[in-house]
Amino acid sequence: MLKLTLKGLFAHKLRFALTALAVMLGVSFLSGTLVLTDTIKRTFDELFADVNKGTDAYVRSSEKLDSHLGTIRPRIPASLISEIAKSEGVARQHGSPVAQGQLQLSAQLVGKSGEPVGDPGQGAPTLGFIWDDFRQLSPWKLDTGRAPRADDEVVIDKGSADKTGYKVGDKVQILTQVAPAKYRVVGIAKFGRADSPGGASVTLFTREQAQTIARARNQFDGIAVGGQAGVSQADLVKRIRSSIDLPKIQVITGAELTKENQNEIQKSLSFFNTFLLIFALVALFVSCFIIFNTFSIVVAQRTKEMALLRAIGASGRQVMSSVLGESLVVGFLASVAGLGVGIVLAGGLKALLGSFGIDIPAGGTVLNTRTVVVALLVGTVVTVASAIAPSLRASVVPPIAAMRASALEGTESPSLLSGLSRSTKIILGVLVAIFVPGGVIILLIAWLSRKVSWLGRVALGLVVLTLGAAAILVGLFGGRIALVGVGAVVVFVGIALLGPVIARRTSRLLGSKPVAMFVLFAGALMTLAFGLATVASLVQSALALFGGKIGTALALAAAAAAAAVLAAACVNLVVAARAAFRVEGRLGTQNAERNPNRTASTAAALMIGVALVALITILASSTKASIGATIDKAFRADYIVAPKAGGFGGSGFSPELATAVKALPEIQTATGLRFGTAELDGKSKFLISADPKALNELFDLQPANTTAFENLGPDQIAVSKRIAKEKGWKVGDTVKARFPNGGTTDLTVAAKFGVGQQGGLSDYFVSLDTFSRNYPEQFDVQVYAKLKPGVSLAAGKLAMDRVVKPYANAKVEDQAGFKAKQEQSIDQFVNLIYALLFLAVIIAGIGIANTLALSIVERTREIGLLRAVGMTRSQLKSTIRWEAVIIALLGTVLGLVIGLVFGWAIVRALSDQGINKFAPPGAQLVVIVLIAALLAVLFAYFPARRAARLDVLKAISTE
Amino acid sequence: MTSVASDPRSAPTKVAARAVNASKIYGSGEAEVRALDGISVEFADCAFTAIMGPSGSGKSTLLHCLAGLDRVTGGQIFLGDVEMSSANEKQLTLIRRDRIGFVFQAFNLIPTLDAEENITLPMALAGRKPDKEWFDTVVRTVGLADRLHHRPSELSGGQQQRVAVARALASKPDLIFADEPTGNLDSHAGAEILGFMRRAVDDFRQTIVMVTHDPVAASYADRVVFLADGKIVDEMLDPTADLVLDRLKNFGE
Repeated sequence: MLKLTLKGLFAHKLRFALTALAVMLGVSFLSGTLVLTDTIKRTFDELFADVNKGTDAYVRSSEKLDSHLGTIRPRIPASLISEIAKSEGVARQHGSPVAQGQLQLSAQLVGKSGEPVGDPGQGAPTLGFIWDDFRQLSPWKLDTGRAPRADDEVVIDKGSADKTGYKVGDKVQILTQVAPAKYRVVGIAKFGRADSPGGASVTLFTREQAQTIARARNQFDGIAVGGQAGVSQADLVKRIRSSIDLPKIQVITGAELTKENQNEIQKSLSFFNTFLLIFALVALFVSCFIIFNTFSIVVAQRTKEMALLRAIGASGRQVMSSVLGESLVVGFLASVAGLGVGIVLAGGLKALLGSFGIDIPAGGTVLNTRTVVVALLVGTVVTVASAIAPSLRASVVPPIAAMRASALEGTESPSLLSGLSRSTKIILGVLVAIFVPGGVIILLIAWLSRKVSWLGRVALGLVVLTLGAAAILVGLFGGRIALVGVGAVVVFVGIALLGPVIARRTSRLLGSKPVAMFVLFAGALMTLAFGLATVASLVQSALALFGGKIGTALALAAAAAAAAVLAAACVNLVVAARAAFRVEGRLGTQNAERNPNRTASTAAALMIGVALVALITILASSTKASIGATIDKAFRADYIVAPKAGGFGGSGFSPELATAVKALPEIQTATGLRFGTAELDGKSKFLISADPKALNELFDLQPANTTAFENLGPDQIAVSKRIAKEKGWKVGDTVKARFPNGGTTDLTVAAKFGVGQQGGLSDYFVSLDTFSRNYPEQFDVQVYAKLKPGVSLAAGKLAMDRVVKPYANAKVEDQAGFKAKQEQSIDQFVNLIYALLFLAVIIAGIGIANTLALSIVERTREIGLLRAVGMTRSQLKSTIRWEAVIIALLGTVLGLVIGLVFGWAIVRALSDQGINKFAPPGAQLVVIVLIAALLAVLFAYFPARRAARLDVLKAISTE
Repeated sequence: MTSVASDPRSAPTKVAARAVNASKIYGSGEAEVRALDGISVEFADCAFTAIMGPSGSGKSTLLHCLAGLDRVTGGQIFLGDVEMSSANEKQLTLIRRDRIGFVFQAFNLIPTLDAEENITLPMALAGRKPDKEWFDTVVRTVGLADRLHHRPSELSGGQQQRVAVARALASKPDLIFADEPTGNLDSHAGAEILGFMRRAVDDFRQTIVMVTHDPVAASYADRVVFLADGKIVDEMLDPTADLVLDRLKNFGE
C-alpha cells in the first residue's frame, strides 16, 4: 500500500503542491516566529552577559514592585559603597574599591534637525547611565574621545552617533526629567562589540550629573562590585553580606543578576511571542480547511480507483491508510520546506515589525532544536489530522462504485456520517443530546426521514455553534480570554459544518444580478483608481529617473507595476461580474452551488481571515468612536501637549514644561498628567496624577464632591465610582498602597469621580505631591491647557509652541489634532494586525485556487463540451473567475457576520474598560468585501488559465 | 486509392463542407502515424452523410478536423467558403458556436443547466436570443416539450441525446456533426434519435455528417463514405443496413 501511496502522490503533483503550499505557509509563520523570538532572546542574553561581565556581586534593595514595565526596586543609599569597601575580596583599582553605584534614567537625545532620537514608547529605549569609573565593571569601550569629567559632558553610544551624525565636540540637546539642557559630546563608545546595546540610544553622564538628573543625591539603583582575582562570586557575596548587615538590602552574585535580567526579558518577550504565535496558529487553522478540502475532493475524484482497490481485495483500513499516508508524506515534506522558509521569514517579520515602529534588536539567526521539532510535528500532525475525515470517507467507498459509469459527474462522495455504524450514530446522538436537547430531536427526524447526512450536519453544526458561542460569551463576560479563543475556534468549526447548507442557498443569492451589478460598478471604480495610480506612479517614476534618483524611480516603477496588476485584476473582476448577467456567469454560479461542501469549506478558510479582519476593524472603529466621544464630552482644554510619537509607555516630558506653560500670560489653567503603576489593595494598578483642581477644570471627571476632589491632599486617593462600588470602598476608608520608592503607604479614599477608565483615563487618581514622593521619575505624559478668556486660539498656540519648542518630543495639539493622534496610534496597531492576518488570507486564497484547480480537473469533459459548442477562452475564464468571486463573497459575508457578532459581544464586554460605543465602519467593511473579490480573481488566474488552455479534443474524450 | 468522391447530386446542390487533400500526421520518423492521408471529400448541403470505417481508420479525426475541433497538418478544410485551416483558435471557436452543431456519443450536456438552457447554450454564449418559433418546432420534433426544465441527471439516456440533437438544431447551423450519437443507447432510443436526424435533413433542410460503427445507423444516411488507413476507400449511396454490413465485412480481407 505504501508504494501505492507514493505513486498516488507523484501522479498528482500539482494538487498536492498546492496543499503543501498551504501547510508550508502556516508552518513557516510558526517557525519564523520561533526563530525570531529565539534570536531576540539570545541577543538579550548575550547583552546582559556582557553588561554584567565584570560584576561579581550586586547590592540592591530587597523590596520590589512588579509593574507593567518590569520589576522596580527602591533606591539604596550611596554610603553603602564605603561599607562594601571594607569587605575582603573586593578588587581595587588605583587604591579605590571596585564598587560602582548605578543609576538608570530616561534621557533622550535630540538629533541635529531637532527630531528626538529613538522612541521609548514603542521601540528603542532611550536611557541614561553613569559612566563607570572602573574598566573592570564597564561594558562600554570608548571608540573616540574620552570619559565625561564635567557635569555638562556626556558620552553617547556609537549607534546613536552614527544615526545622528554627532561627533566628539558637538553640543547636543538632551531631554530628561529636568529641564532640557545642552551637553557636550566628549566621547563616543561602543557597547562590547556592538554599536549600541540592543538598539537602545544611550547617554552616559558623570555620576554627579546622573544623580542630579535622577534627583537621587547620595542614592543609587544598585551597586556593582568587582571581586579580586581568585575570589569566587559566592564568596564575595558572603563577605559583603557580613560587612553590611542591613534590612532591605540584598546582595546577589553577578551570575544571578544576569540570569534575573535574562528571565525578565524572556517574560516580556513571551507576550510578544504569544502575540505572533496567535497569528501563526490562525494561519495553520486556515490551512487545515484547505488540507481537508483537498483531500476530500481528491477522495471524491478517486472513488473509482478506491472502489477498484476494494474490489480486488484491499480492506477499508488499507484504503484509509493509503490516504493518510499521502497526507503524512505531504505534511512532512511541506513542514520541512516551511521550516526553511520560516528561517527566512523571521527576518521579514522583524522588518515588518520594524516598519510599524517596533525596533527589535536581533543579530544572526537562532535555530533551536525545539523550533525544528515543533515546526515538523505541528505541520505533519495538522496535515494528517485534517486528512482523517476524508480518509474515513475513502474507507467506506463500496467496491461496487468501481462499476458505476462515472465517479466524477456531480456525484458526491459517500457521507462521513453514513459510513458510521448505527451504534456510533446513536452514541453521537446521545452526546449531542447532553448539550442541546433539540439536537437529538433533529437527529431523530433525520434518521426517520433517512436524510441522516444533511440534517445530522445541521444538528451537529448548530450544536457546535451554540457551544462555541456559549464559550465565547462565558469567556468574555467572565474575563477568561483563553475560553474566548477556544470558543472562537469552535464557532468557526460550527459554521464550517453548517456551511454547505448555507452555501447552497447563498451562492445563488451571491451570483444574482444586484450583487453582480455592485461588483461590476465597484470593480469599474477600482479599475479607474488603480489605473490612475499606475499612471501616477509611472509619471513620478519617470520624473525621479530624470532627477537622477534611481532608487526612488525603481521603487515607484515597482509600485506602478503592482498597481497595474491590481488594475488588470479589477478589469477581470468587472468582466467576470458582467458575465454574471450571461450564461457563462450563470454557469459559474451554478458550479459554486453544485458542490456545496466544497464551496463551503473553501469559503470557510477565507471566512476565518475575514472574520478576524472585520473584528479588528470593528473594535478599532468602536474604540476610536468611544475615545472621540469622551474627548468631545469631557475635554475642556483648548490645547494638549502630547508626545510626537504617540502612545504612553516610557515617553513624556519634564514637569518643567507644564510649569512653563502655566506661567504663560495667555494661559488660564494648565496641568501635566502623569501615569504610574502601584500596588493597590494587593494588585498592580495603573494610576494617574495631576493637579486635581486644574484637571477637573480641563477634563470633566464628574467628581461626586467637587470640593473634596479638588482639595485632594497627600496620602489621599480618589477612585472611580465603579471601583468604589466594586470594592465597597467609602470615603474615609484606607487603601494599602506600595509604590516604586518602597515601603507601604496607607492612602485614604477622599473622593470619588464618575469618568474613570471608561473615559480613557484611570480608575485611580492621586495628587502630584503623592506621586512625586513615591516615584523615582517624574514625567508628564500629557499637558492640558486652557486659554484665558479673550485670548485667540492662534495667539495661544503661538505662545505655547514657543515654550514647547525645546522639548523636541512634544507637540501642541488642539482637540481635533489630539483626537486624530489617538486614532492614528490605534490605526497603526490595527495595520500591524492586518499585516499579520494577511498570511491567513493568502492561504485562504491558495485554497480557492486549489479548489478551482481540482474542480476543473473534475469538469474536464464539461469544459471540453462547452468549448466545443462555442464557449470562447475568455468566456471560460470569466466562468471560473465568477465562481471564485462567489466562493470569496460567501466566505467574506460569513466572516463579516461573525466579525460583527463577535465585535458586538466584545464591545459589550469591554464597556467597563472605556469602549462603550459599538461603531461598525460600513465603508471599511464594504472595502473588505471588494478586496476579497479582487483576491479571488487574482487567485483564480492560474486555474482559469489552465482551464482555458485545455485541449478541446482531449477534454471531450477524457474518461 | 485517393479518390474525389463525387455525389451525382452535388453538381446542382451547394457544398456544405469539403476537405481538400487533407492530411493529419502524428509523430515523425519511425513513429509517424498518418491519421488522414491526403483525403479529399465533399459534403453536400441538405444531405445526411455517414462516415464508416474500422477503428483507427481516421474517421473520427476527419470529423474533428471538419468540425474545427482539430487541425489538419496538410491540405485544406472548407466550411462553405471559409477555409478553416487558416482560422485561429478564437475564430474556430466562433465558427463552432455559430455555424456548427454537435452531437457526441456521451456527455453531451452541461449537468448544471436544464434541458432548455442546454439547447440554447450556443446562442446564449453568442449573446443571441433564440428564434422562438424555431425553438418550439425543434423541441416539438424531438418530443421534449414537457422536459424542458429537467436537469440532465433527471433525463434518460435517450432523452439526453434528444436534448443534444435539439441543441445541434436550435441554432440552425450550416452543418451538424454527430459522433456515434447512438453508441450509448438501446436500439429503440437509437432509432428514435436517428429518426429525428433524418427528419432534420428532410423537413428542415439541415446538413448532417455522422461517424458511426453501426450499419443500421448508417442506413439512415443518404450516403456512406468508407475510410481505411486515413484514406477514402469507398462510398455508397442510399445504403441499407445489409449492404453496409457486407461492405464492412470486406474490410477484413
